[in-house]
Amino acid sequence: MPNIYQPNLMTIKKVINETPDTKTFHLVFQDEELQENFEFETGQFGEYSCFGAGESTFCIASSPTRKGHIECCFRKTGKVTNALFELSEGDTIGFRGPFGNTFPIEEWEGKNVIFVGGGIALPPLRSVIWNLLDLRDKYKDISIVYGARSVADLVYKQEIAEWEARDDVNMVKTVDPGGETDDWDGYVGFVPHILENDFKPDPENTVVVVCGPPIMIKFTFEALERLGFKQDQLITTLENRMKCGLGKCGRCNIGSTYVCIDGPVFKAAEIDLLPPEY
Amino acid sequence: MRTATLQKNDLDRVIDLLSQADYRVIAPQNQPRLDGPDSIDVAVFKEIQSGDSHNIGEGLSTTGIKPFLFPKDEPLFAYENRGKKVVLTEVSLDFPKTVILGVRPCDVASVSSLDAVFSDKNAGFNDELFTKRLEKTTFVSYSCTEPDVSCFCTSVGLAPDSDKGSDLHMTELPDGTLHVEVKTKAGEKIAAVIDALLSGDGDAVARQQAGVAAAEKITRLRDSAPILPWLQDLGNFGDEMWQRLGEKCLGCGACTFECPTCHCFDIVDENSGNKGYRVKFWDSCQFDHFTLHASGHNTRNSQFERYRNRFNCKFKIYEDVFGEKGCVGCGRCIRGCPVNLDITEYMAEVAHKAAIPNAMSADPDFE
Ligand code: SF4
Ligand code: SF4
Ligand code: SF4
Ligand code: FES
Repeated sequence: MPNIYQPNLMTIKKVINETPDTKTFHLVFQDEELQENFEFETGQFGEYSCFGAGESTFCIASSPTRKGHIECCFRKTGKVTNALFELSEGDTIGFRGPFGNTFPIEEWEGKNVIFVGGGIALPPLRSVIWNLLDLRDKYKDISIVYGARSVADLVYKQEIAEWEARDDVNMVKTVDPGGETDDWDGYVGFVPHILENDFKPDPENTVVVVCGPPIMIKFTFEALERLGFKQDQLITTLENRMKCGLGKCGRCNIGSTYVCIDGPVFKAAEIDLLPPEY
Repeated sequence: MRTATLQKNDLDRVIDLLSQADYRVIAPQNQPRLDGPDSIDVAVFKEIQSGDSHNIGEGLSTTGIKPFLFPKDEPLFAYENRGKKVVLTEVSLDFPKTVILGVRPCDVASVSSLDAVFSDKNAGFNDELFTKRLEKTTFVSYSCTEPDVSCFCTSVGLAPDSDKGSDLHMTELPDGTLHVEVKTKAGEKIAAVIDALLSGDGDAVARQQAGVAAAEKITRLRDSAPILPWLQDLGNFGDEMWQRLGEKCLGCGACTFECPTCHCFDIVDENSGNKGYRVKFWDSCQFDHFTLHASGHNTRNSQFERYRNRFNCKFKIYEDVFGEKGCVGCGRCIRGCPVNLDITEYMAEVAHKAAIPNAMSADPDFE
């Protein structure tokens, strides 16, 4: 048995250019038995590596209900993501995972679920969105509020169109002021503002899942609390810097909480008990 | 378990016998700190051969035994890029049978703090690079009789003569003989190898007295346990003391590299052409890039926040997560800090803030 730091090899089956600096990979394990038996749950993440450059942490962006391959989506921001960005179909990458906890989707059954995402933070939501849509009968209204800096920065454009076209999904999209194009048919404004002033969700029997940069999470939670949401209705994922994913390398902690093993999914009430280091 | 007497000058013979019994023997040895005539010798744990001189029982080693369980850098596997394919080669997990001789009580106690992180007790993930080394390692510990001014093992539930984590423990008595206590099965094996050098069943009373006499020489904070509730109160995370005491920290990381319990590491590819190794190597929460996100956001953006993390790691996070302290009071972070940042000063400050009576040191410097 290889040690816990040695990844499994995966082949890139497909590359999707999401934005000028963001890509999605479709990945399958080279080991057939692992490919057959691999399981994960929505919300979990992995360590993806380009050999020679190193490892980087992203969530698994596909839904566990969709077998056959897993997906990751990343923006090029550093050495590893730049190297991954250069890879093409047929190339090999390394994968360790799945790691971390999961979205408590059973707890949400019979409820309205609102997904709120900003920028590149749509991938963790995409996994859980498709998971719920594939189990559509178990949930009441499903809404997606997604915003990015500009139209060019929106990821999953094709899927956004797909969600808009469905009559069992309420799709709300927005770009920051100045980021709109002439033919933009969504809102213009920051996500928390659109949420509070335009979308105005009813807290009754509803949970909200928020993903985005820490500052966006903070403002979105505040806006939702002003709308009457209680902390136990609000859920997010945190993205502290990680290396090992195993609770050992010591860098992802927020006080005594290790995002890689205790998270990445947290309720607002849990976050309130953490020191402000996220 | 067995107790016995060993003559101190038979330690050379102990090394001979253990080497003959196919143990790799690690012991503290003097090594010049610098090149050139002005260098002073410092004690360092190194592999020792029969006939080499050692300084077991003399002074404190600058670096501990951590590198023999968790090396400063080590390959995790080798990779080779072959076009679209990659070939990975595992590293060997077959480690040599080792005995670490003359390890101080604080250092041998620190192994449990490392094991808490690297073994499968932590989230079920077993880092065999550590645990398989540990399985192959036997610890022969040696009580301190002359604690250094920076030592504070007695503040963290240990003592200059404690045997926590030890397989075979030795205490030097005033008459120059060593009182030997076998603690575990692995220690029994060592005792069997050196049986010819052991006599009688030792002097338990003199051994006890030696421990008490050594503990009395420690002048720092008495007991750190009462500071935990204050640290666990989230309202104190923003206390002014963190910035005030932490401002002088340079972020050099010396405290973490010399610390026997610090376990943080980075994982990096060392590449040459189309192949290389993925390597795990020591990192430090004192470095500014440690928590830097790809987005530029840094969760611990200033140096005092990084030292606050270090202090909390030792006295709160370890308690919360593993139910034990992350500090064994060895004092290395105090001795090694270029700006004299003193972890016991933080402990005393917290004790003061929490109004804990009698927690302060008798040493006026720490009142
Ligand atoms: S924190 Fe300092 S005193 Fe405590 S174990 Fe580490 S180096 Fe030793
Ligand atoms: S003090 Fe810092 S470097 Fe040492 S174990 Fe704790 S987090 Fe890691
Ligand atoms: S406390 Fe001292 S040794 Fe540690 S990082 Fe700061 S300056 Fe360096
Ligand atoms: S990523 Fe290494 S401890 Fe969490």
